[in-house]
Amino acid sequence: MAIATEPLETTTGRDQYRALALRRIVLICAMLVALCFSISIDMALGPANYTLREVLTSLFYAESVGDQLRVVIWDIRMPIALMAVTVGASLSLAGAQMQTILANPLASPFTLGISAAAGFGAALGLIGGVAIFPAAVQYMIPINAFLMAMAAALFIHFASTMRGVTVETIVLLGIALVFTFNALLSLLEYLASEQALAAVVFWTMGSLTKATWPKVWITGAVLLFAIPLFARHAWALTALRLGEDKAASLGINVRRLRLHTMMTVSLLAAIPVSFVGTIGFVGLVGPHIARMLVGEDQRFFLPASVLCGALLLSATSVVSKTLIPGAILPIGVITALVGVPFFFVLIFTNRRRAW
Amino acid sequence: MGMFGKVALAAVGLCALFSGTVLAGEKVVIKDVTGRDVEVSVPVEHVILGEGRQIYFVAALDRDAPFKRVVGWRDDLSKADPESYAAYLAKYPEIAKLPTFGGMKDGTFDIEQAVSLKPDVVIMNLDAKTATEEAGYIEKLGKVGIPLVYIDFREKPMENTEASMRVMGKLLGEEAKAEDFIKFRADSIAKVTDVLAKQNPARPVVFVERAGGYSDDCCMSFGNENFGKMVEIAGGTNMAKDIIPGTFGTVNPEQIIASNPDQIIITGGNWQGYVPGGNWVGVGYGADLTEAHRKLENLTKRPALTGVKAVADGNVHAIWHQFYNNPYQFVAIQEIAKWLHPDLFTDLDPEATFKELHARFLPLDYKPGYFVSVKDE
Repeated sequence: MAIATEPLETTTGRDQYRALALRRIVLICAMLVALCFSISIDMALGPANYTLREVLTSLFYAESVGDQLRVVIWDIRMPIALMAVTVGASLSLAGAQMQTILANPLASPFTLGISAAAGFGAALGLIGGVAIFPAAVQYMIPINAFLMAMAAALFIHFASTMRGVTVETIVLLGIALVFTFNALLSLLEYLASEQALAAVVFWTMGSLTKATWPKVWITGAVLLFAIPLFARHAWALTALRLGEDKAASLGINVRRLRLHTMMTVSLLAAIPVSFVGTIGFVGLVGPHIARMLVGEDQRFFLPASVLCGALLLSATSVVSKTLIPGAILPIGVITALVGVPFFFVLIFTNRRRAW
Repeated sequence: MGMFGKVALAAVGLCALFSGTVLAGEKVVIKDVTGRDVEVSVPVEHVILGEGRQIYFVAALDRDAPFKRVVGWRDDLSKADPESYAAYLAKYPEIAKLPTFGGMKDGTFDIEQAVSLKPDVVIMNLDAKTATEEAGYIEKLGKVGIPLVYIDFREKPMENTEASMRVMGKLLGEEAKAEDFIKFRADSIAKVTDVLAKQNPARPVVFVERAGGYSDDCCMSFGNENFGKMVEIAGGTNMAKDIIPGTFGTVNPEQIIASNPDQIIITGGNWQGYVPGGNWVGVGYGADLTEAHRKLENLTKRPALTGVKAVADGNVHAIWHQFYNNPYQFVAIQEIAKWLHPDLFTDLDPEATFKELHARFLPLDYKPGYFVSVKDE
């Protein structure tokens, strides 16, 4: 009996696996389609009320349309629409890999203090006029934010390499960093002039209106550099989720994998935050949504995280400019409002243990 | 009846006795801008300014020595209006040693320090009301006999500036001067509003950009209050009035192209300390207008202003950002009116109004530099 059923079980097992993989691929394709749709809406909508035909003409025959139409499409709508995609993708990917290597569902650029550090760096510039890297004063704010974010990320990393430090300690360290930088930020705000205060408050709420083509290129380039790097280590990262010891026994150099991943994640988290300000929600929740949809296997989890983050922020970009026509609401505020309902639905309908 | 007469007589006698003994201070009841009745002995000799910018009022009343009664103040003047602070500091070097209270918005101060300075009155701004009440300062100060009054020239400047000036006049015993100032201000505004009411001209659409060039962000603006309101009084339509629900907000850069405003007014100030070499327009007390003009022109080249009517017609202007929280903002209203309706206000000279304000009321000498327009020079 047992012998007779065995081949049947393997075939159903294989079929099940295939069906599962197919389901995941379909889900990822669906996300990709949704993302394209969201970008199209973001490009098509705006207070200038151009028709779809005008938008398309401007996209494909930029030279043939008037100055205003071209500027609106190419210099105002497109950088914002694409920035939403690259920033959302970067933050979500950074959060996903932080959660993987630290084996902690609460890890994200926001909860580990990287965003808070960036906010403090920006505030140093906005309030005190302090340039950490004085050679490029005109890019003072993003450079300050970037350097502080990198410093925080490297601190987390080197702490994590110390003897006897567990992943739990690292998360605690991250939380300590959040509080430290938030306290420093509040201190600066207390000392600030009204004008500077307004600028800092607005900066920390996050905004895509700062998007320009060079910023889109830079965030896009970092993303394109990071994805293949993670893809190459996909199996190793998946194995790491079984536990550090098991991964090591499978022949993975856990320390080195952590180091490389953390370095890349720092770049992924620091650069977008330095350009658009604090956007907290995507880096934490993007990966969780991806995990609930496609599971832990990095071959699916990696692209799903990227797409989830991109889709979340792209949809937010649409909402932030359509909620009050003509105004732009701070994206950091809207992200959570857009993402949370969807996240709740997933939590309550997903009976499987997500983490 | 006789009884009443006796009581009345006694009361009058008591009052006479009282006013005779308390030579320095006469107890009066002052209604502050929140409608509270506060008993204060006037004129006061020692005041704490709950906000440093209240010196704008005090200076107009105690012209010869504006700081003679100030025993402590909040440190916001040097941060919000560094040019004016520098000018006051140059003339009255002793203000560097005045005890200060920190903190910008929260309205908190060290009550122990306040009491130790023995003020006759503490003057707070209306914006600090919530924080002041939460901390129970009125009761705490009341226990040691220090009254607290609210004034306001920022939350609702159009409604509250006159009342605030009257309160200050009573407190400092300079009621005649306060009335002079109020009349000068009212007349200056009437020069704009009377003409507009009579001629009823078409209202140009005005985009007011808040602190243009301060950051990479384009298009912070104002809703119905603040500069938004000043534009409406000066005979314009504030472009963002139906877009921004509160006082501050950001409009979609594309909206400027869509609305195609007739006039653009960008607020500016010397923000070298915050954004060194930034694109902001550095107008203000004694500013370099050639440089400000160059920077203003530079701001018109941003994508959001492509092909906009105001840019094409050269109707892009910069104005000193601090007018928003300043009792001298009627000068700004005159200037904006002149920009929006040059034909109606050919005789109006805001520069001269500002000069007269300094000559008649203020301890500082007037220096131009508060306004610049792309059309200038």
